[in-house]
Amino acid sequence: MSLVGCPHLSSFKASKGTRPYRIIQSYFVYCCSPENRKRKATACLCHICGSHGERLHSCLHCVFFGCYSRKHIQDHAKSKRHHLAVDLSYGAVMCFICGDYVYDRDLEYIAREVKTKAAKSIGMKHALYCPWEPTQREVELLRKNPKRRKITENSTIGLRGLINLGNTCFMNCIVQALTHTPLLRDFFLSDKHNCEQKRSGQCLVCEMSRLFQEFYSGLRSVHIPYRLLHLVWTHARHLAGYEQQDAHEFFIAALDVLHRHCKGMNGNANTNPNHCNCIIDQIFTGGLQSDVTCQNCHGVSTTIDPFWDISLDLGPSNITPTATSNNSSTSNSSLTTISDHGNLFNGDISSSSLLSQAIESPTSLLDCLRRFTKPEHLGSHAKIKCCKCQSYQESTKQLTMKKLPIVACFHLKRFEHSNKFRKKISTYISFPNELDMTPFMSPYRRQNGLNNNIQEMDIFSTSENKYTLFAVVNHIGTIDSGHYTCFVRQHKDQWFRCDDAVITKVAQQNVLDSEGYLLFYHKQVLEYE
Amino acid sequence: MADYPDRKVRDAQMRATINQKLVETGEKERLKELLRTKLIECGWRDQLKAYCKEVVRQKGLEHITVDDLVAEITPKGRALVPDSVKKELLQRIRTFLAQQSNI
Repeated sequence: MSLVGCPHLSSFKASKGTRPYRIIQSYFVYCCSPENRKRKATACLCHICGSHGERLHSCLHCVFFGCYSRKHIQDHAKSKRHHLAVDLSYGAVMCFICGDYVYDRDLEYIAREVKTKAAKSIGMKHALYCPWEPTQREVELLRKNPKRRKITENSTIGLRGLINLGNTCFMNCIVQALTHTPLLRDFFLSDKHNCEQKRSGQCLVCEMSRLFQEFYSGLRSVHIPYRLLHLVWTHARHLAGYEQQDAHEFFIAALDVLHRHCKGMNGNANTNPNHCNCIIDQIFTGGLQSDVTCQNCHGVSTTIDPFWDISLDLGPSNITPTATSNNSSTSNSSLTTISDHGNLFNGDISSSSLLSQAIESPTSLLDCLRRFTKPEHLGSHAKIKCCKCQSYQESTKQLTMKKLPIVACFHLKRFEHSNKFRKKISTYISFPNELDMTPFMSPYRRQNGLNNNIQEMDIFSTSENKYTLFAVVNHIGTIDSGHYTCFVRQHKDQWFRCDDAVITKVAQQNVLDSEGYLLFYHKQVLEYE
Repeated sequence: MADYPDRKVRDAQMRATINQKLVETGEKERLKELLRTKLIECGWRDQLKAYCKEVVRQKGLEHITVDDLVAEITPKGRALVPDSVKKELLQRIRTFLAQQSNI
């Protein structure tokens, strides 16, 4: 195996140049136009046996295609003394005298150039995978800093206790969950935040950046998050003071402030509130589809709203589900589309019979999600003007997942506030380590209603809808006073319990058996953009 | 049994037609790229790379050809592809074929 070409290829290049290679490459290996693809589809067949598989090669000296597996290209090379051939699947050059593929810098550059062009022509310029090759500067930096930090199985990097600054466990548990969010960690550790107001000391994103550096510095001592607390007090006044606060409320407030401070840096924030590309929105924002079906004409009116978390009811009655919209100003400008024909699957026959079923208290996260995405009859006291038949009618409403976020946060509504009573629901709600969101996706759920046919689901199910648990926030105590702790996942499957300054290793089963309040799931597979 | 060779011919023709469609539309390249990323993500590429290095080290860089290497790693390479990846690719191919009206 030669790394610097071979004498036979060199003499070929000297007499004929690289043009024959470029022609084969751009017409038959990586096609850059529909015409070329069409030609490749019909012409790339072995000239001896007519097959298209079997490792087809093209002769570099003349017009001849032959398959390698059945030795047709070898026979041609021998009889015609044409010793160089190009593999038509990958573009590598074979030298039959040397008996192996040979690598030539000039030809490799041509191959890469043609390949990129071809990928663009079928619209996958972003998806193309290129292995990382350090630039001159990066090589220099690596040489100057020879110390490498290697994360081993039992490394504790990333684990740090947090001092309780006076009823601030609601903040500490969310900080633990955020610092263990894989994508957020990657963003901050690769120093991606370029702050416009660097010296003001007011940017919460900068503070998060510092916090991540602290957490992953390798230090094991307790961290005191006083700067973070001060910034939270400044930017979210309703959370200021030494009273007990709700961890969920803090989580949403923190995302909101982070999102606002990120906006300052990408400048075009005001142009479209629905398409913010800040790191918070990239990771946490999903799209919730709401379909309102008129019972009179079966016209469906669809709206899609962004969300950062899903709040799930635990009580037995049929309370309206809610999703926290990430910004009150954006929800007004949400997209609205009206489909012009009724959906038969969602007609009154199926949904009303489903609704008449007794609704029991959910016992698992899946129960909660099924209830959340169930068609709900809005009743005679809540008539809505139908956009299609222009009259006030009873209707059904159904919420489904239009776009899944990378991190899905589920908020189990354990604290019940009504005008009659305030109480905490301490029922055990089971939740899985791996979660498939397919049954709650708009296309699947709208078609199948409550019919949970597993085989049907298989068709819709892709790894893109699968999630893994990575953090759980727990609340111990009553509605008036209590304490928050958090479980976080480290490495692939190690779990740790963070109780302010104390961190202990626990088994996964402890996590799954706990009384979860906030559940954080991370997508297993990320799409490329 | 009489129609068996006939069916074999038909199958081969079908395969050729499908291949032609996949190439013509560029879908084959997209599928290849998808497969590549999926195999990288699940660690298959790293596993195979490590195994290749070991084989090359054993036989010596001067004495090994690509063909030797291919013959050596193919069984292991095939066995290590996760079922989920195969399923996803199959799914994509099915979807593609369903969209083609003239096959």
